[in-house]
Amino acid sequence: MEMVSALAQGFAVAITPTNLILALFGCFAGTLIGALPGLGPVNGVAILIPLAFSLGLEPTSALIMLSCIYYGCMYGGRISSIMLNIPGDEPAIMTTLDGYPMAKAGRASEALAISAVASFVGATFGTIGLTLFAPLLAKAAIYFGPADYFALYVMAFATIGGVTSVNPFKTLLAAFLGLMIATVGLDPATGTARYTLGSFHLYDGFDPIVAIVGLFAISEVLVYLERVHEGGARMVPLGRAMPRLKDMMAGGWANLRGSVVGFICGILPGAGASLGAFMSYIFEKRWSARDGRFGSGDPRGIAAPEAGNNAASGGALIPMLTLGIPGSGTTAVMLALLISLNVQPGPLLFARQPDMVWGLIAALYLANIALLFMNIPMIGLFTRMLSLPQWILMPFVVMVSFLGVYSISHSSFDLFVMVGFGVMGYVLRMLGIALVPVVLGLLLGADMENNLRRALSISTGDFQILVSSPIALTLYAVTAAMLALAFVLSLRPPKNDAAVTD
Amino acid sequence: MTDRIVGLFLLAISIWYGVTAGDYEASFGDPLGPAAFPIMLSVPAAMLSLAVFARPDANPAWVTGTPMLRQFAAIALLLSYAGFLEVLGFPLATFIAVALLGRLLGSTWFKSTISAAVTSTFLFVTFDKLLGLPLPPFPNFMS
Amino acid sequence: MRNLSKLLGAAVVWTSLSFAGATAAECIAPADPGGGWDFTCRTIGKMLFDQKLVDAPIQVTNMPGGVGAVAYAKVMSSRADDADLIVATSTVGVTQIAQGKYPADTSVMRWLAMLGSDVGVILVPKDSELKSLDDLIGVLKKDPSALAVAGSTAAGGWDHIRLLMLAQAAGMSGDAYKQIRWVQFDGGGPAVTQMIGGQVQVVSTDLGEIAGFVESGDVRILAALSDERVPAFPDSPTAKEQGLDVTGYNWRGFYTGGGVSDDAYGAWVDRLQKLYDTDDWKKTAQENGLVPVWRGGAEFDAYVKDQAEKMNAISREIGVVK
Repeated sequence: MEMVSALAQGFAVAITPTNLILALFGCFAGTLIGALPGLGPVNGVAILIPLAFSLGLEPTSALIMLSCIYYGCMYGGRISSIMLNIPGDEPAIMTTLDGYPMAKAGRASEALAISAVASFVGATFGTIGLTLFAPLLAKAAIYFGPADYFALYVMAFATIGGVTSVNPFKTLLAAFLGLMIATVGLDPATGTARYTLGSFHLYDGFDPIVAIVGLFAISEVLVYLERVHEGGARMVPLGRAMPRLKDMMAGGWANLRGSVVGFICGILPGAGASLGAFMSYIFEKRWSARDGRFGSGDPRGIAAPEAGNNAASGGALIPMLTLGIPGSGTTAVMLALLISLNVQPGPLLFARQPDMVWGLIAALYLANIALLFMNIPMIGLFTRMLSLPQWILMPFVVMVSFLGVYSISHSSFDLFVMVGFGVMGYVLRMLGIALVPVVLGLLLGADMENNLRRALSISTGDFQILVSSPIALTLYAVTAAMLALAFVLSLRPPKNDAAVTD
Repeated sequence: MTDRIVGLFLLAISIWYGVTAGDYEASFGDPLGPAAFPIMLSVPAAMLSLAVFARPDANPAWVTGTPMLRQFAAIALLLSYAGFLEVLGFPLATFIAVALLGRLLGSTWFKSTISAAVTSTFLFVTFDKLLGLPLPPFPNFMS
Repeated sequence: MRNLSKLLGAAVVWTSLSFAGATAAECIAPADPGGGWDFTCRTIGKMLFDQKLVDAPIQVTNMPGGVGAVAYAKVMSSRADDADLIVATSTVGVTQIAQGKYPADTSVMRWLAMLGSDVGVILVPKDSELKSLDDLIGVLKKDPSALAVAGSTAAGGWDHIRLLMLAQAAGMSGDAYKQIRWVQFDGGGPAVTQMIGGQVQVVSTDLGEIAGFVESGDVRILAALSDERVPAFPDSPTAKEQGLDVTGYNWRGFYTGGGVSDDAYGAWVDRLQKLYDTDDWKKTAQENGLVPVWRGGAEFDAYVKDQAEKMNAISREIGVVK
């Protein structure tokens, strides 16, 4: 009961005309920032913090606007994944797998609708989880030690072969390439420089955003250049501009399954939204393996990762608010924002500054509803954007990508790296080596290594620590079960021959 | 054939990667040290590269002729953009890059120039002026 | 769409008005958004403008890379004489310089001032059997690898060195204290939560980030590495009181390019000092877990160079630098 009245109080704080207008602006700006490759929640929120200050906003209003931007980015990331095969932000990489094939088949509006609904379900699920269980789940996160994190990453990489239906050797090799790229830079445990070729530009390793933008956006330009006709052809067929209601619901229960898996990943600091989206996709693919057409535009292949990444973003707020631990770059920026508004996240936040927290939570509910209603009509806008000739759209996307990268690093070096990744991405695509596992390896590899080494530091080198906690053992058991299931399924003759090739 | 070359290339990379890792040592720190994880990665990576070499897929259809030249031109263009962004300043560098890229993507000079003017102005105003992200405004030699 | 363009239009007008007639100074935060250096730039940049010490809001540029080395190289090579540029740094940056991980030593920059400092603390969980620094040292002397200690920096980084300085002051030999188990986490918060979860027994890190856990009673401060007790936690003893003369501050401050004129350098020091003298700054600093401390101009320059030398000596002694 206490919670209900606290939440009601939160809504009272959040619902004022100014705040509602700011929330709508935040949702709109967030969706756009999320949709533009290279620009994501990290630079989106970072850019807008000073703007919020210089507009002289009340702390609550600023918080509401910026959290709407945060959720809006999560909604927006899917758009360019679906329309252009370029993930708008890190967690949206999984949405390229089924979203883009669907758009290529002339069903872009459908894919956008499914993913908008999935984002709504996932984000609402995450927010409800945050409302009900924040203090409780924060405790759970505390008991998740390095060995358990390592088991979680082992699970992710053991199941990575199932991401795409092409040559499994190549998929695994792609994941290892990503992991190898992730080790470049200063080793966090000892400060040793690895594979930096003597350049301190590489001390921080490769920024995943730079790699993603290069691998997907620049390589996409090179793919277009293969079949350029004078005058410029369309990228994907237009199809229906607006979705029908039944199209929106095509994700079905995958929305909820994805939300659950994503939320669990989100609570764990460090794992975050990308792992949430990936795990949701893998689980969904296993769950509906019998009749699935994953990789060629299965609605559940869009719904699950989108619900997963949005639920994870909600879940990621739990350790951030209750422990003050930012699990990802995005929540780190949110944390900085809260601190600059004199809100001190940590164990005492809910007791000390209830107005602020419940106002924030209420704002998240509002943002969700606003985003759903805003995103459905915006589908028309985005599908029409595809009717722009590619000589306008592609250079624009490339320049925004460059800008996004330059805005976080201010170094031309990163721009060269991005072009390098672009060439690499093109070659890998030509060879039928999937790009998604490369990015996953890069995103999760450093955490995997760090947690392995932390576990062994704690045990002074005794490998038994890796299998001595019940959480780790459970994760290994689930991994084994998933691999066994995959093996049994692989013995059956494949039903679908519609593997995606470029 | 392509897969065999790539398999061998990645095999070489994996071996180089593993051997280089052997040199990394910290005088103190954690029991595993900075070398162990890369070595653990290099072995399966090398084996997978061999597998790709041993069981190659069909050759991909590499483009040739004009489209290939276009691709090389685009890469050269993007690299020059990266190199000249801070020298020429954002508006000018972006204008040139968008115009040339538009031309490569099959537009006419006239149309791509217009698109370039609009894109570069729009992005500069939005990011530098509106959002307060400092971008290099003018060519180096002017300031 | 039309509403948006109106909004954008209004915003453009507003921005161009607010920027009219003044060139904005720039603050480089040599890290991603959200970290301590980013905070230093954004807070102080905002306050300088609020206090009317600069004419236009200070633009914050994030330039992550090599724990500040990328920004250091950039300022050194192409903006050495840019009088409108300041760069955020801290003890962490100076540790990197002292260990030869930057492209040059401290002499290539002009060190402006520090405005506040975080205090290093040694922490244990609330129900730990270790009640004092003596208890801790006693256990470590008996068996250096008996406890797993965590912090937010690499082995050889500032959190680790502060711990080893204590061990050294207590008379442990280099061979012994090298065996203390060190576990690195991505920040003080994760280190403390993992300690509460029972993964490690002791944490050595900065107080600011984890003060909430001390207030909530989840962890205890075994020793504060400051000259005097931290005002926010008057019950927590310092290491000095417990007989070990070790302090471990992590100050926050700024440098500017080595080619900046004396006038421009003096003007920046002056502005920062005026800001330091306001009550607003002291309040903000305390809210963020910092102790307001001022060192500016020539005094600060000398302090940084001295600290780098001392740090280098310690690093050599414990074998981080050969």
